[in-house]
Amino acid sequence: MELELIDLTKSFGSFTAVDHMNLTMTNGVYGLLGVNGAGKTTLMRMLCTLLRPTSGSISCNGKDIFKMDGEYRKLLGYLPQDFGFYPEFTVQDYLLYIAAIKGIRPAPARKKVRELIPQVGLSKAAGKKMKKLSGGMKRRAGIAQAMLNNPKILVLDEPTAGLDPNERIRFRNLISELSEERLVLLSTHIVSDIEYIANKIWLMKDGTLVQEGTAQQVIDSMPEKVWHCRVDHTQIPEAMRRYKVSNMKSEPQGALLRIISPERPYPDAVSAEPSLEDVFLYYFGEQPGKEKAGESL
Amino acid sequence: MIRFEIKKIFSKSMNKMALIVLTAALVIVCILTINNIEYIEYINGQKKVSTGIAAAQKIRDAKNQWAGPLTEETLSKVIQKNNEINSSPEALSDDYREQDKAYAKKQSISAITQLISSAFSKLNDYDGYRADSVTAEEVKGLYQQRIASLEEWLASGEEFFTDAEKDFLITQYQKLDTPFYYEYENNWEALLQNISTFLLVLALAIGFFVSGVFSDEFQLKADSIFFSCRLGRNKAILAKMEAAFLVATALYAIFAFLYTFIVLLLLGTDGSSCPIQFDMWRSSYNITFLQAYLLILAGGYIGTLFSSLAAMIVSAKTHSTVLAIIVPFILLCLFPFLSRIITLPGLCSFFPDQLLEIYIHLRYFVLCEIGGTIHNSVPVLLTFYLIVCVLLPPALYAIYKRTEIK
Repeated sequence: MELELIDLTKSFGSFTAVDHMNLTMTNGVYGLLGVNGAGKTTLMRMLCTLLRPTSGSISCNGKDIFKMDGEYRKLLGYLPQDFGFYPEFTVQDYLLYIAAIKGIRPAPARKKVRELIPQVGLSKAAGKKMKKLSGGMKRRAGIAQAMLNNPKILVLDEPTAGLDPNERIRFRNLISELSEERLVLLSTHIVSDIEYIANKIWLMKDGTLVQEGTAQQVIDSMPEKVWHCRVDHTQIPEAMRRYKVSNMKSEPQGALLRIISPERPYPDAVSAEPSLEDVFLYYFGEQPGKEKAGESL
Repeated sequence: MIRFEIKKIFSKSMNKMALIVLTAALVIVCILTINNIEYIEYINGQKKVSTGIAAAQKIRDAKNQWAGPLTEETLSKVIQKNNEINSSPEALSDDYREQDKAYAKKQSISAITQLISSAFSKLNDYDGYRADSVTAEEVKGLYQQRIASLEEWLASGEEFFTDAEKDFLITQYQKLDTPFYYEYENNWEALLQNISTFLLVLALAIGFFVSGVFSDEFQLKADSIFFSCRLGRNKAILAKMEAAFLVATALYAIFAFLYTFIVLLLLGTDGSSCPIQFDMWRSSYNITFLQAYLLILAGGYIGTLFSSLAAMIVSAKTHSTVLAIIVPFILLCLFPFLSRIITLPGLCSFFPDQLLEIYIHLRYFVLCEIGGTIHNSVPVLLTFYLIVCVLLPPALYAIYKRTEIK
């Protein structure tokens, strides 16, 4: 399975959400990281044929996905970021309905639904109406619907948004479990979600890819270093202004800061191992010295 | 897929409410229709007015004494009977209560005397007492008198008609089968007079039911998953259309049947083969009450389909259920409302709201010229909107298929 994006662009009026993007994906888990508004959802919607590109193309094994139409969508499983259900449907009815519009015949659909419900941990909720489910349960129903057709391409847009830590871990493990023998594209702005499971990470900003590679390659790509230091409480505002601070822990004897900087920020600062979160901050965080939006008002 | 789409429609609480409202409307219209029938009798000198089922039974028995073809002989007998009643002491009394007693005796022949009055009045100026001055000999020319009245009225120029239209109307009058077959037909009159209002309520309710079929995917944010599925841009759209069609048809059939069944069960089924001229003397349609009723039902059904399809197109285009719900109201209620305030041009007689006003079209002269030939408006209306109803689904399909999720 190979998905290829060639010079892909999507504009809404004068705003370009995805800007001349070129990339190729084969089987494996791909993590798409970026702040809100980076163009991740637009890219995913184009990959799911929900939006047509302004220019450029997306091909699946060499064929244009929009020309493939239903044949392409047959390979696709999609969990949107913000999605709704039919509130009066039970979980089982909902999954059977989605199976029907995925073109799965009733008997295999019932079998698949029976398999998936326990797999996503919804055995006790199978007969419950969708409107009665918790946020986590809805997400699980969402992943179940995406898996109904045993998709070769699985697109998950912010799948862990709104989940509590337990559910997020459970969800991550579920995605890992499902990722064998298929292409999984996972979009998020929660770094830890993809740090552990993505084979390849793309950092997306203003509609373009600013960095790509494995987690380690992306971490190594950061030209600045990470430092740990303890500063007096009175020094915090100055530190925040001068450096990118990826973490701050307040203690009675001062504040423990994690700073991203090309040179040692304080004499007693010690070098630390960079993480993907540091990289995220480096590429997407506010520049030191800049006032936060609203502070100048 | 269709089963789930139907389930979606009926699981909406607003639609459940609409179903309750529709059922309530059915009950109210049935009661009003049944209570249209009134019978007056005097028992031991005491006036007793009955309505509804009891009245229907009594008036039916009374009128069916005259059942059969309205031949010259029967018409003469009716005039004789009418004259007998008119010359009775009760009718000649100055006491209105006594006159009422005479009137009560006329109930068995009232439909026929009204027919005679219509025939011998001017076409556009009905004189309810005209039958009292028609002789037994004169009444034998009743059917010719109908044509003569029309010719006289057309010649008067009171209303403008082209020569072709005049010829058409006279020909239609001449083609009417005579003698009329008569039997108790108050049931059909009541049914026809009230059904238009009920069909309008039904059409609006059905529009309400199906207006969310397409837009609810967006309202519920279920659109992304729907359109990313294999059949989301083809068969699933067809399933929505089929479900909407089935729901609209089933609701229309069930409620129209229930209304008809309840009314005819309680008021009787006689009179179905009587010509509609008993109720609509001027009508240029040579049809029976049953045929008129079926035409009204057909108009209502096509009107319901048309307004529902228009609602679904707005629903698919705007993704708004609220806007879609308004569409049937605009199509079916706006022009009747405006026509009460201003005089609308003749073209408005062919707007979609007229599909629910077939009763009016049957009653009055509404004509149109197509390819140099004059036609009554009803077949033109039904054919035109039926064709539109066939053309709209492909447009609806194309609109929804092209949807983009931004």
